Amino acid sequence: MTSAPRLLACCLFLLAASGAAGQARAEKPVVALEIRNHLFWPSELVVPAHTKIKLQVTNNDPTPEEFESYELNREKVIMGKRTAVIFIGPLAPGEYPFFGEFHPRTAQGRVTAR
Amino acid sequence: MLLTSVIIVLREVLEAALLISILSALSVTYSVRRGWIGWALACGSLSAVGLGLSIDTISGWFDGVGQEVINAFMQFAIYLCMAVLAFLIRAPAANGGRAAPVLPLVMALIVALAVTREGSEVLVYLSGFTADLKQFLVVLLGSAVGAGIGISIGALIYYLLRSMTHKRAQLTSTLLLVLVAAGLSSQAALLLIQADWLPAQLPVWNSSSLISEDSVAGQLLYALVGYEATPTAIQAGFYFGSAVLMLLIGAAAGIHYRRQRPRPRGKADR
Repeated sequence: MTSAPRLLACCLFLLAASGAAGQARAEKPVVALEIRNHLFWPSELVVPAHTKIKLQVTNNDPTPEEFESYELNREKVIMGKRTAVIFIGPLAPGEYPFFGEFHPRTAQGRVTAR
Repeated sequence: MLLTSVIIVLREVLEAALLISILSALSVTYSVRRGWIGWALACGSLSAVGLGLSIDTISGWFDGVGQEVINAFMQFAIYLCMAVLAFLIRAPAANGGRAAPVLPLVMALIVALAVTREGSEVLVYLSGFTADLKQFLVVLLGSAVGAGIGISIGALIYYLLRSMTHKRAQLTSTLLLVLVAAGLSSQAALLLIQADWLPAQLPVWNSSSLISEDSVAGQLLYALVGYEATPTAIQAGFYFGSAVLMLLIGAAAGIHYRRQRPRPRGKADR
């Protein structure tokens, strides 16, 4: 049992350390994305390669949507009429499709890193 | 719409069902009464409703990354419980078949946390379709099908584990627990990367041409062992670090309990 408190301490330390790292973060380019009628606007985002981006996703629909991308390794629920922040990148040049998991037929888009 | 709901709910249910089936198989192996499952499901469902209802508030925490931080915290909490479990399940072998009394509590905590996390996501998904009754019923039907498939896979794994010999079942479930725990820990790290609490990096490898994450195999492997086609060094580090830590804890527990083994009194030593 002695290992459990030690493990807990390690996890807490890790969280604290990562929190401190977050405090020191530099400003990142902000890119806006909107959801309207279960569609992404714009459906194509061009971002600089090798740069971390702050993606600001505004859901104009009254219902929740989940921003999801296997290529970007991102997944986040955005409640209705809310704006969410998702950090993406740094990305190698290329195309990274994303979709709305709750309405995958219509809500499609892609990030192009140049 | 129908197919989407089947897939979404299946994905969520599968992760929880897998944990429940491994843990209930372990319960039988260690003669732990399985009453804890009911309690864990009830508590988990209740807190899933609570979390689902407060997602809107939580999302605003920590400059808009509250969702990631809370989810990561829950994943780490499950990992921690599984690490404790890895220690405790070494006890019975040394104590002549009697499980540690806290074993059902730890198992219940793992299941309750998993159900909270996966259940709240299903609820948020379903909440988006309440405006239109017809649509809601279609989504509900799909969700029921998805949940049914997930539970069936869980049952299959349970009976597979039960059909094995004691030794093989113990080895397989330990291995599965280690992989699931490692997956949870690396997913938690990914969430903290997404929240910008951990540094982002370029992926260390790309195995999507081998097993794509949106393929059936990829989805199944994701749910079972936290498969990621393009992990960064931090994620991979968390995965393998957590797996090794679990194995070390299990090994340490083995040594600990061997030392603690009571001296045989009177009757012949087995």
